[in-house]
Amino acid sequence: MRLAIAGMGWITPFGNGVDPVWKRLLRGDEAQAEEITEQFGDQSYTVFRVPESALACIPPHPRLRRASLISRFAAAAGLEALEAAGVKPDSQSAERTALVFAISNGGVIYTKRFYRDIVGAGAQSASPLLFPETVFNAPASHLAAILGITGATYTLVSDSAAGLLAIKMAEDLMTNEALDYCLVVGAEEADWLLCDAYRRWRLLRLAPPIEPFAQIGRGMILSEGAGAVLLARDGPVVIECTHPGGYYRKRTQAEEILKRVLGDLSKTEIDFVISSANGTFIDQAECRALMRITPDAFVYTVKPALGESVGAAGLWQVIIGAQALRYSELPPLLHAGPTIPLRISASRIPMASARHTIVLSCGVNQQVAGLRLGKNS
Amino acid sequence: MARSGSGNGKRLTARVAVVGAGVVSPLGFGLSETFDSLREARDCVTRVGRFSVAGCRCKTAGQVPDERLLSKRHEGGRARRLHRASHMMIQALGEALEQEPQFKPELAVIGTTSGGMSYGEDYYRSLDRHGSLRHAPTWIANYPAQKPVIDALDAFEISAPCQVVANACASGTNAIGHAFECVRSGRYQRVLTGGYDALSELVFVGFDSLQASTPEKCRPFDQHRTGMVLGEGAAILALENLDLALKRGAHVLAEITGYGMSTDNFHLTQPDPSGVGPRRAMERALESARSTANMVDYINAHGTATPFNDAAEGKAIGELFDRVPVSSTKSMMGHSLGAAGAVEAVICLLALQYQFLPPNINFCAPDEDVDLNIVANEARPMALRTVLSNSFGFGGTNASIVMQKFEA
Repeated sequence: MRLAIAGMGWITPFGNGVDPVWKRLLRGDEAQAEEITEQFGDQSYTVFRVPESALACIPPHPRLRRASLISRFAAAAGLEALEAAGVKPDSQSAERTALVFAISNGGVIYTKRFYRDIVGAGAQSASPLLFPETVFNAPASHLAAILGITGATYTLVSDSAAGLLAIKMAEDLMTNEALDYCLVVGAEEADWLLCDAYRRWRLLRLAPPIEPFAQIGRGMILSEGAGAVLLARDGPVVIECTHPGGYYRKRTQAEEILKRVLGDLSKTEIDFVISSANGTFIDQAECRALMRITPDAFVYTVKPALGESVGAAGLWQVIIGAQALRYSELPPLLHAGPTIPLRISASRIPMASARHTIVLSCGVNQQVAGLRLGKNS
Repeated sequence: MARSGSGNGKRLTARVAVVGAGVVSPLGFGLSETFDSLREARDCVTRVGRFSVAGCRCKTAGQVPDERLLSKRHEGGRARRLHRASHMMIQALGEALEQEPQFKPELAVIGTTSGGMSYGEDYYRSLDRHGSLRHAPTWIANYPAQKPVIDALDAFEISAPCQVVANACASGTNAIGHAFECVRSGRYQRVLTGGYDALSELVFVGFDSLQASTPEKCRPFDQHRTGMVLGEGAAILALENLDLALKRGAHVLAEITGYGMSTDNFHLTQPDPSGVGPRRAMERALESARSTANMVDYINAHGTATPFNDAAEGKAIGELFDRVPVSSTKSMMGHSLGAAGAVEAVICLLALQYQFLPPNINFCAPDEDVDLNIVANEARPMALRTVLSNSFGFGGTNASIVMQKFEA
């Protein structure tokens, strides 16, 4: 079965729109960090936030009136992907479109507010308006309602591998010949509580930069937003091969499964790899696996520029891989040290003859996934 | 008309066998205890003791007793740190693998709604009270929804990749349905599937705040129903290409023959009162199974006992079927959310195996607005060949599966 990317959309700390954000990445820009605090104590964290102005692109819809940020991000990315593919969300296309949603932490802002009321003032003060927005599939439900999708809608939960796992599921769904499209969306919102949790787990640093593939992983910076790809039977970039991935039991075992995923995906010559390196322990696992399996491929990670967006991250990586194939160029890798034993570049890399790329996701919560993209000839 | 749900457009390439099953729920640990509870129509809903319900209208839930569930915690090590949900998953998977020790799945598709939520609550409360955060790394590491699935796979040295479906209360049935389609399409030969959820304060209070849960007994489809009670549990099904299962001499518990899903965009928390969402899901499941409504011998309904759900589901069943026996086993064990569809699929397996109708307890008076043949208050013997199980959830997700007695 042939599977291709017909349209893409994203909303990121650089704003929205695939091409405008892509241009900033090529320029070597880095998102502006914002300091956030919480009532619990003096500890502040920094995150890469989506600028308010980027949300202006979302048309008004009754479902979004009270919806969380994560649902708005998803709507922005999903609608852009459909528009890019020239697909109008009408009853005919909606009937032949499935939706697979990737998420990790979900609607954490409303969840925190809802539980804060319970802890602070008792169960009787809990808001019936907030609770439904805390459910993992609330963003998918809002997006399905906006697009009028009445068939298959799935929400998949995982770590930053969620996006690629969702594409794998979409591939399985697309074996149904009654489907023309599957919209895959990944979204996440950043919050102090998440920052604190990841810091206590020794995965977060207090301020940028994210230093990819460093010998000592000093940690990631969280970001937020959404990414969407509309999968169809044809398009300028083809999903040549998806990998079901796997999980690692201990951090030290991540390298082995990464090698297996890379090995399975690199049966053809790979020009570059869009890595998920984010400044944590996964970087060294990825680095060793990449050195071993695809030593000649260029390696890029967007996380030093845009942060770790967890549920959205895999979709962002796929969009970057597709853009790099379409425009034959890779953005500069930011904040990479001079001794990294991989083919990386601190400046833009022309890739005129690039045909194939691997997108690799190693999540911090034990899941790994990958896929291979190819230029449609 | 083409449809984006299951049913149309698929080439049928494989029959799908259930070759193993395991369950833990308020009805009991394992298939045998579950069957006994169903046969005796036990009310397994008890007062909640795990957290304070002082400010809630509802005070009860179906609960899995910790003294049995966590009996291995005293052994120390990793088991001590795992969330209750992980212990439920390990228990359910262990039972399924006892029947099929050689089962090597290529994929696991598991449903849930809230993962290790109570650990998130512990973490938040400690922050809020400026209390000890010594256990924070354990809470945080065991909070993600995929963790109990990985813990269970790891416990039995299964290295299959996993997909965790969070389609609210339809998660379990959606997971089983997707796993079924993976095997039926021929892309996979063996898939583990199921669902889990453990009771948590946040979710309990959430349903209470919506006034969806009841301070009274849970009475699905009763004229005087006043709402749901929550539950918890885990269930696992081992699915395999039927030909391969037979070739290696596996014992086939039943077949899954159809799956349908629909998305009802009426409201985030309420079904379209016309019943169009449930109706589409059931129609698509029947179409997928190449069955007709009159071939269905029993329906395990979603039947939460909320006025809106039962009215919409009852209307859809009444329109599609002709007085088929219907019960909601949530009346006995509560609504276990992401586990519900999986636990109820296991109940359907038992119904097919032992040829009986599971009861809908606490039923006093039929609802005059829906014309249903309710299996009221006690289990009944019945020759069953084809059964259908429904699950509907927040976000308008509706899922139905069709299961059949295996006849060689």
